[in-house]
Amino acid sequence: MMETDVLVIGAGPAGSTAAKHAALGGAQVIVIDKKSEIGSPKRCAEGVSKDGLKKLGIEPSSRWVTREATGVRMVSPNGTAVNLTEDKVKLPEAGYILERKIFDKHMAMDAARAGARIMVKTLATGMRREDDQVVVTAENMGQELEIKAKIVIAADGPESRVGRWAGLRTALAPKNMESCAQFEMAGVQMAEPDCIEFHFGSVAPGGYAWIFPKGDDIANVGLGILTTRTDKTAYQHLLEFVESNPATQNAQPVELNVGGDPVGGLLKKKVADNVLVTGDAASMVNPLTGGGIISGMLGGRIAGQVAAQAMADGDYSHKNLKVYEKLCDDELGESFKKYLKAKEYLLSLSDGELDEIADVFKDSDFETINTAEMVKKLIKISPKALLKLGKLF
Amino acid sequence: MIVNEWCMYCGECAGVCPQNLIEVREISLKINHDECKDCGICIKVCPVQALQGDD
Repeated sequence: MMETDVLVIGAGPAGSTAAKHAALGGAQVIVIDKKSEIGSPKRCAEGVSKDGLKKLGIEPSSRWVTREATGVRMVSPNGTAVNLTEDKVKLPEAGYILERKIFDKHMAMDAARAGARIMVKTLATGMRREDDQVVVTAENMGQELEIKAKIVIAADGPESRVGRWAGLRTALAPKNMESCAQFEMAGVQMAEPDCIEFHFGSVAPGGYAWIFPKGDDIANVGLGILTTRTDKTAYQHLLEFVESNPATQNAQPVELNVGGDPVGGLLKKKVADNVLVTGDAASMVNPLTGGGIISGMLGGRIAGQVAAQAMADGDYSHKNLKVYEKLCDDELGESFKKYLKAKEYLLSLSDGELDEIADVFKDSDFETINTAEMVKKLIKISPKALLKLGKLF
Repeated sequence: MIVNEWCMYCGECAGVCPQNLIEVREISLKINHDECKDCGICIKVCPVQALQGDD
């Protein structure tokens, strides 16, 4: 049986960041990932904020940044666009559009350089407790293996099976799981090539559609829907969006991505004896935007640091690991609550209401308008905003 | 449960399975049929309609 201090399950950005920081903190670390190629296929629109990378201490690299996006363009159902640019407003998820297949590998390489051992094509199949440790059963190329760890960091994505093996309630109701489909396309003719673009309304029931530029005429064109709000699949909605959107009339797909995005707000119980849950598995995703790269990595960093500290303490109990929950709630949970409110408001709007709002804001000079004035304007056209968003401002 | 060949192994079904019965491998899906109660949630969320009931 293999033995280690910390076993990280899943080498996405959250898992690799957890592994890196656990190793930097002095722990012996193994990372397993079920895939033969870390980062592939991507299940992501690939946008990150500059601030986020900075906060994580990660220098942007031309190897995995495809381009910068300096603005946001929001389009209502009848095509009315509101353009926001970086110099005018602070943008939560704009900044860089990544090449995730390369980015994820580089994050895993950083974990390796910090001392973590990485095993690819290795699938965790179960978990049991032994003494005060955990034994994870896994499979690698037809070989069964067992890894005994003092701490397991579950970074196994939206499937989040590992947390449930530890008794945590990581399963998601369909209303908290955005169902997503995306083409990476060439020949995309964007109205504002420097902007990431969002389309709201019945084009993507319960979510939104996006176009994220990746340089030249390349873009990720996708959408997320709630399956509780439509009878069509995400893929069917995507085909309709691509057919009707002016930007994609001459575009061709070179890749199809699908997957779930956990948008219900931060998982409450993220800790069990010997186990920490992080990243998508703990719903570390902005519930409004669905973005989860930076937040997952911030959570992963905390998980790695807490695991290393627990190793130093020689105490892997729920009680000693529980500080992880407080730290994550402080880092992510509070802002997620606000984003969740904003999302509820957004999803309550009909196509007609969205058009009206876009019409009011389309000519606004966001450079001079402050938040209070903006809210006043919004409430005038959409009185229920006061009820749904009032407490946020 | 039938897994159609166009399944993309994204794992969204596994994330919503109330009983944690779906194991997503790199290019296969393993479902614990014995304990499945046919709630159909996995069928409904699939982005590409790759899952279907037996009947």
